[in-house]
Amino acid sequence: MSLKSLDPRVTRLNLPEGEVPAMEPKPELDQFETYEAFHQKKEGTAHTYVGPVHAPNEDVAFLFAKEQYSRRFPCVGLWIARTENIQVTPYVGDQENVYETITIDEPTERNEQAEPYEIFHLKKRGKAHAHAGRVMATSYPEALAEAKKAFGEKGPIVNVWVVKSKDVLQSAEEDKDMWTTIPEKKYREAIAYKVMDKITKYKEENKTTTAQ
Amino acid sequence: MNELAIKDLLYKLADDQLILGHRNSEWTGFGPILEEDIAFSSMAQDKIGHSLAFYTLLQELGEADPDTVAFTRNANQFHNSQLVELPNGEYDFSLIRHFLYDNAEIIRFEMLSQSSYEPIAKVATKLKGEVKYHVLHANTWIKNLGSSTEEAILRLQSSLNEALPYALGMFEKSKYEQELVDTGVYAGEEAVKAEWLKRISAVIEKTDLKLPDLATIEPKFGGRYGEHTEHLQPLLDEMAEVFKIDPTAEW
Amino acid sequence: MYGGGNVFEATKFDDVQVEDPVKLEEFEARIARGEKIEPTDWMPELYRKQLIRMIEQHAHSEIIGALPEGTWITRAPGFRRKMAQMAKVQDEVGHAQLLYSAAETLGKSREQMLTDLINGKSKYSNVFNYPAFTWADSNIISWLIDAGAIVNQMANAKGSYGPYSRALERICAEEAFHLKYGHDAVVHMATGTPKQREMIQAALNRWWPPIMTFFGPSDKMSTHTETLMRWKVKMASNDECRQQFLDMYVPKIWELGLTVPDPKLKKNMETGQWEYTEPDWDEFKRVINGDGPCNAERLAVRRTAEERGAWVRRALLNPKAKYVKPLA
Repeated sequence: MSLKSLDPRVTRLNLPEGEVPAMEPKPELDQFETYEAFHQKKEGTAHTYVGPVHAPNEDVAFLFAKEQYSRRFPCVGLWIARTENIQVTPYVGDQENVYETITIDEPTERNEQAEPYEIFHLKKRGKAHAHAGRVMATSYPEALAEAKKAFGEKGPIVNVWVVKSKDVLQSAEEDKDMWTTIPEKKYREAIAYKVMDKITKYKEENKTTTAQ
Repeated sequence: MNELAIKDLLYKLADDQLILGHRNSEWTGFGPILEEDIAFSSMAQDKIGHSLAFYTLLQELGEADPDTVAFTRNANQFHNSQLVELPNGEYDFSLIRHFLYDNAEIIRFEMLSQSSYEPIAKVATKLKGEVKYHVLHANTWIKNLGSSTEEAILRLQSSLNEALPYALGMFEKSKYEQELVDTGVYAGEEAVKAEWLKRISAVIEKTDLKLPDLATIEPKFGGRYGEHTEHLQPLLDEMAEVFKIDPTAEW
Repeated sequence: MYGGGNVFEATKFDDVQVEDPVKLEEFEARIARGEKIEPTDWMPELYRKQLIRMIEQHAHSEIIGALPEGTWITRAPGFRRKMAQMAKVQDEVGHAQLLYSAAETLGKSREQMLTDLINGKSKYSNVFNYPAFTWADSNIISWLIDAGAIVNQMANAKGSYGPYSRALERICAEEAFHLKYGHDAVVHMATGTPKQREMIQAALNRWWPPIMTFFGPSDKMSTHTETLMRWKVKMASNDECRQQFLDMYVPKIWELGLTVPDPKLKKNMETGQWEYTEPDWDEFKRVINGDGPCNAERLAVRRTAEERGAWVRRALLNPKAKYVKPLA
């Protein structure tokens, strides 16, 4: 006998009825690695952190992040970086600037080719990291030092993320049409549901019977 | 332009999208990983949205309103291909169907965005970007899974073999085929199929899957003319269960 | 969708005395200043454990909460409802994803959390152990359970843990749609045909008792609770949430001419508090411990989804990958 449910989809799963033994604990890695997603709201604004997805690789992470983080609200671009590839500074207080509180071990010798790094700043605890800019460097610490020079001066910066540009999957210009219809999908916006008229009409028609 | 031909085309497009969107929505909450569950649901919603857009064009041509058309017809009045009405099976089958279907759908949308029939061209142009994501999603998954474990390859291959006759059924010609081609509405099913074969082959070549010789496969035709498998009527009954409690009510 | 209740049980980490007093003082000062705590900050074990427990239960409530309304996903009447019902249930899955991620930043992997859910080791909101008999039940859930969840989530969004607040901000924005959608559907039913009206009243009658337990029993005030309130883990008492919910939604139910199946329900104008029949907390305990109408089915469905999807995950698992918790 299989389980008969009120949900026809569940009935079709043909679940066994009755007691089942406990599930074996999931293996340590079953839900894939994590990737961090950054979303760009409109042209010219900074890519801002929206959250992680679990995915087997960055291509699939892009597919996932697109729907998890940009199925609502305007979006023109999406960046994906593997969590493991992002280096994080300590967090400091809301009034502090992390660049001033840490010592950056800059290498003395640079024999490698410099490459671009993306820098993300968190301005206030509880808010989201936003893209501050790009620097050229030969290592993460050097990228941090360059970032401090380039845009580490102004105001409180409570935390910095550093990631090599080559480790960031960036949506292409020609991908933009994937988001063009999002603002039209009103059925999943609160604004599409207006029932005041119905309520008012109902109250008018039932004045005597609904007095509480 | 022959209105009957246009209506026939619109019904095919709308019914395909509605039925597949409905099938894909059955996965919500049951997907292999949360993130994929979400992505699959978005695509299902898009498909229902596309069907609504096409039913709305039909209404403008004098057909009944979209709810009535979608929720009150019987199986023999539906023009979808049999591919989309088949039960979901396991995820391998749903993915393969999604891959075979959306690679054809994007070609239709590309062609229709150039259509001589302006209302269709407008809708297709607007919605093309959504189908583009569906194709990217399908191709990425097939490329990844199709060259992964033996288990996955075996599953996909067997689903591919099972789905192909039905997939070829998508290209069943309408009785207005020549007229639609001649008046520049779109390039016709033969053209869609040829391009589709090119595109799916290019993806399959990058995997360990094998595309059987299509010449040896008998396509499952009939869907475009209202002949369906035993799976469609129960699907429609389920879909309309609440609606039919009172079709005149506002839900 | 999550209401609270049955969350703040004492754990063996109750003893804050064993923590480093200097670090504890800094931590408490940060919260007192109104700053958020971020994942790599030092935090007391009690804080970490309670947050994991709370966020995990919240995540489970979302993924299991997708099932009662999912019951009607293939049968929603008409395009408008069909698309919205799909989007609504999808959002619940999306919320689970966000919340599992927030809990992961505290050190419990999604793998462990899913195992604990399926094996009954961790709880989820009790209301989802009740069935959605008709389309109207689904509407009542969309409106009133989500309304309750918003009361709770708005409070929690002001809590001290950064990743949880961020997730809740996104969730609350989406819940605004759920609430409006649910209300819209209920209004259509209540002002519709006699049959529709009868359906929605019956569903309300079925769901009222579970709704009244949604926020959990009255909190027992203890030093434990006080500590968690000072640390901005617990943001409002269960009774405060319940009162707020009744204040906001009972009038909206009444204005539709629907009745609430509790003869004692009324607002005491002197105290400003709602009075009601005390919910059946024995049933609540029985159901939360596994003996409800749908507990077995809910977990079986979740387990089946995990098991039938396992081949996909096995196929794509990178053998060199190792678990790294998300950043924020």
